[in-house]
Amino acid sequence: MTVGTQVKQTLAGLKSAQAAFETFALQTENKSAKKLYQQAAKETQSIIDNVEPRLQDITAEEPQYNQ
Amino acid sequence: MPGWVFIITRSLLFLLLLFITTKILGKKQISELSFFEYVAGITIGSIAGEVVTGLEGNLYHGSLAIIVFGLVTYLVNFLSIHSKKFSDFTEGKGTVIIRDGKILEDNLKKERYTIDEISTLLRQKNIFNVADVEFAVLEPRGNLSALLKKENRPLTPKDVGMKMANEKEPQTIIMDGAIMDEALRWAGKGRDWLYTELEKLGVTLDNVFLGQVNSYGDLTVDLYDDKIQVPQPQQRPLLLASLKKTQADLELFSLATECEKSKAMYKKNAALLQETINKLEPYLNG
Repeated sequence: MTVGTQVKQTLAGLKSAQAAFETFALQTENKSAKKLYQQAAKETQSIIDNVEPRLQDITAEEPQYNQ
Repeated sequence: MPGWVFIITRSLLFLLLLFITTKILGKKQISELSFFEYVAGITIGSIAGEVVTGLEGNLYHGSLAIIVFGLVTYLVNFLSIHSKKFSDFTEGKGTVIIRDGKILEDNLKKERYTIDEISTLLRQKNIFNVADVEFAVLEPRGNLSALLKKENRPLTPKDVGMKMANEKEPQTIIMDGAIMDEALRWAGKGRDWLYTELEKLGVTLDNVFLGQVNSYGDLTVDLYDDKIQVPQPQQRPLLLASLKKTQADLELFSLATECEKSKAMYKKNAALLQETINKLEPYLNG
């Protein structure tokens, strides 16, 4: 597995977690939990935004693995 | 009219009268919290018993006595709510028996309790060593309330500095295969949501004996058919696991990469994610 696919996997995991947080935030009736989930969704989104540019760098550096 | 007809009619009549009296006096009467309720509880019962079986007794006199007892108790309750002094007088006050871990012998004597009786009351609360008690009160109804010393109290999450998620009461939304619409509304859900959740679990509504939803929106069910295994809600623990995995991945990347800028970026985000995990752990732990 190339580094590119690994990072891709991690990003996918982060995105699924982010989506799960948003779902939970909508599902729960508990006010403090709702706020916490929304906050977590925002933080996860910022992590995704941070890591994503790196994926582009890696794919640019590993052109031999791109079809 | 034969005697048995009398007894049947009187029994039914007095049952109704007693029911109405206790209904009016409320929950307090059933728990017999104060002196008046205690006395009224005993007396009303025996009057009713006397009148129902004693054929020569006058029906109206018996009913009158019950009504008087009920009325006086009601009045005392009413006045007690409005005057603290009155309620102290009629319902009595608790007597402190142990303060600062020391038995107050004078109060014990005043209440005419022996040390054996106090030990019995303490043992009923699973306290065998008087030295463990910080404070104990003999309540007006004769039961003992005891506060243990801090080091002898059961450990709570607060004591160990654990953060816990606060939880609301679960709502019972399915009973005997029927949907409880009011509870469903309290849980903030609709029938559509419920049908979707049931489909996810792979059960039909009429097979569900009891269905409850917790404050996270997880549905748990008990089925009529006990042979069927129902999957437990796994969403939140799963999310926690995947978060931990991603966090570990980020740490790994930060070690693996040679680009200094990316190293710092990975490290920063790994720390950020760890912080999020720490905050959410109490909510995601199941």
